[in-house]
Amino acid sequence: MKFLPFILKHLRRNWVRTGSTVVAMAVCIFLFCTLQTVLREINAQLESANAARLVTRHAVSLVFDLPLAYGARIQAVPGVKSVANATWFGGSLPTKKEGKAEGGDSTTTDWSKFFPNMAVDAEPYFAMYPEFQVPPDQFRDFLGDLQGCAIGRKLADKYDWKIGDRFFLESFIPPYRKASGPFEFVVRAIFDTDTGKYPGTDTNVMFFQYKYLYEATGRTLNAGTYTVEIDDPGQAGAVSKAIDMLFENSDGQTHTETEQAFRAGFIAMAGNLALLLNSIGLAVSFTILLVTANTMSMAVRERRTEIAVLKTLGFSSGRVMGLILTEALFLGVLGGGFGVLGSQALMSVIMNSPAQAMLAGVGLSSLGIKPAVGLLGMAVALFLGLAAGLVPALNAYRSRITDMLRTV
Amino acid sequence: MAMVDVQGVRKLYRRDSQEITVLDGIDLQVPEGEFVALMGPSGSGKTTLLNLIAGIDRPTSGQVIVAGTDVAQLSESALAGWRSRSIGFIFQFYNLIPVLSATENVELPLLLTSLAKKERRERALTALKVVGLADRAGHYPRQLSGGQEQRVAIARAIVADPKVLVADEPTGDLDSKSAEEILGLMETLNRDFKKTIVMVTHDPRAAQRAHTQKHLDKGVLKA
Repeated sequence: MKFLPFILKHLRRNWVRTGSTVVAMAVCIFLFCTLQTVLREINAQLESANAARLVTRHAVSLVFDLPLAYGARIQAVPGVKSVANATWFGGSLPTKKEGKAEGGDSTTTDWSKFFPNMAVDAEPYFAMYPEFQVPPDQFRDFLGDLQGCAIGRKLADKYDWKIGDRFFLESFIPPYRKASGPFEFVVRAIFDTDTGKYPGTDTNVMFFQYKYLYEATGRTLNAGTYTVEIDDPGQAGAVSKAIDMLFENSDGQTHTETEQAFRAGFIAMAGNLALLLNSIGLAVSFTILLVTANTMSMAVRERRTEIAVLKTLGFSSGRVMGLILTEALFLGVLGGGFGVLGSQALMSVIMNSPAQAMLAGVGLSSLGIKPAVGLLGMAVALFLGLAAGLVPALNAYRSRITDMLRTV
Repeated sequence: MAMVDVQGVRKLYRRDSQEITVLDGIDLQVPEGEFVALMGPSGSGKTTLLNLIAGIDRPTSGQVIVAGTDVAQLSESALAGWRSRSIGFIFQFYNLIPVLSATENVELPLLLTSLAKKERRERALTALKVVGLADRAGHYPRQLSGGQEQRVAIARAIVADPKVLVADEPTGDLDSKSAEEILGLMETLNRDFKKTIVMVTHDPRAAQRAHTQKHLDKGVLKA
C-alpha cells in the first residue's frame, strides 16, 4: 500500500498517454462485455428450446406460408405427438396519426412498442410449452373468448396490463391487416415461468387464437409455421425427414428442424453470429494488447535511469518488477472498470429506446450485463494489463544498474 | 578494521571477443570516518571502483568488504537490502524522481523499512533540514536549482543513516558557488555525523576538501 502513491504519481506523469491507454483498454472491455452479453442472451434463448419440439416452415422462406391442411397430415406422421399452428402476427400497438383525413387509415404502426406476438392453436400449443405457466381458470377464459389473449408477465408489467384490459394491435404484414382497423384484444390470461427450471424463457410475448386472425381476415389465411411435438427427442432427425418427405412433391415443400435450430436461424440469419462476434472481440483485444504493451514499454524505457536509481537505493529487482506490473494492472483496472460501466450504460440506453422493440422481436427483450460477464470483462482487462506490463517489467528486472545509469 | 576494505580486486569487461581490464589488482583501505577522494583521468576506473564499493557491481576477482560485509558474497536481493541499509549514493546528475516532491524523493529509501508513514515523513524532513532545504520540502525537482537538487539528493542519501556515503562527481554539474556549498555539506556530514565518504572527482579543488586523495590510472591505484 505504501507504494501506491508512488505508482499513482507515475501514472499521472503523462496523463495524455495514461488517459489514452485507459480509453483504449476501456473500448476493448466495452466491446467484450457488450458482445458477450448479446451472445449469452442468444445462447440462453437457444438453450430454452425444447429438444422434443420441431418447427415446420416453408422450404423456401419463412415469408411463405403453409396450407392449413398440412396440420392434420403432420399429425399422422409416426412419432408426432401433437401439432399446433403458430403464425407470427408481427403486430404492434398503433398510434393515432395527427390530422389524418376521415375515412383514410387513421393509425400508423409505433415500432417503439413492438413485442413478439403470435396467433396459435392455443390448446395444443400451450400443452407443448410447460414453461408457460397459465392459471387454469384464466386459460379457460382465454379459450372461451375469440378476442382473448395470453400475455407473459414481463409484457404485462411493461404496459401495466391486467386481466380484462383491452388494447389494439396492427400487423406490418399486409395479409394480416383488416380494413376495419387494428385487431382488438382482451387480456384473459397472464402467464409466468419458472426461471430456475426454464432459464432463458422470455415472457415478453403475447399469444392469441389463430381462429380470430383467420375469421377476421376473411378465412383466406394459411399457417405461418407448425410447431410439432414428438414422442422421442432422439428421433428428431427421422421425424423431420418424414414430415418433409410427405410434402416433397407438393407446391408448398416444407423444411422441418428442431426448435433450437429454427431459433438459431431466426436470430442469426446473416450467418454464424457467435463466430463473427467472438472474432471481432478477439481482434480488438489483441490490438489493444499491442497498443498497451507498446505504451508500457515506452513508459518504462523513459524511466531507465529512475529504475537504476531505485535499485541503487536498495529496491530489489523483484520489487521494481512488481511496481511496473502493478502500474500496468492499474491501467487494466481503470480501463476494465470504465469498459464495464460503459457497456452497462449502453444496454440501459438501448433498453429505454425504440431499438429495444427490434431486439424484442428476436427474443432479446432484456439486455444487461450479468455479474459473470462483468467479472470476466475485468479479468480480461487485468490479463491485458498484466500481459502488456510483463515484458517491460522483465526487462527492468534483468537490467544491470550500471548499464541503465550509462543510458541517457 | 577499515570501513572499506578492497583487496586485490580485478574487474574485466568483455566486449565481443575482447577482454578489457578496468581495474587491475586494486588494494584500498578506508578507515571509519575517513573522507577519501578518488581521482584520475577518464577511463581510469574510478567510477567502476566506486560502484564496487557501493555494491551495484561485482568484482571479477578479489574481495570488497564494506562495513564488515563481503559484498561479492551476497545474493542479488540480499545485496539490495544491504545497499538500502549501509550505502548512501550521490550521483553527478542528482537523479531525483521528477514526479515526486523533495520530501517524497528523500522518503524513497525509507519505503523499504517498516517505519510508519508519519515517522518516514518526519525523518525525511529532518534530513532536508540537515541539508538546509526544509523550506523547499514540497517543491518538485523542476522547481529547484542544480545545487538545491543535489542537496535533496544528499538528504536522500543520508536519510536511512548509512555508514558509508559514495559520491560520483557530486559537483561535476554545478557552478563553483553551488559546488562549494555541496562540498561544505559533505565536510559537515563527515565531521559532525561521522560518515565515511568515498568521492570520485576530476576537480582538484574538490579533492582538496577530502582527508586523503587516491589516484587511479589505467585501472591501477597510484601511491
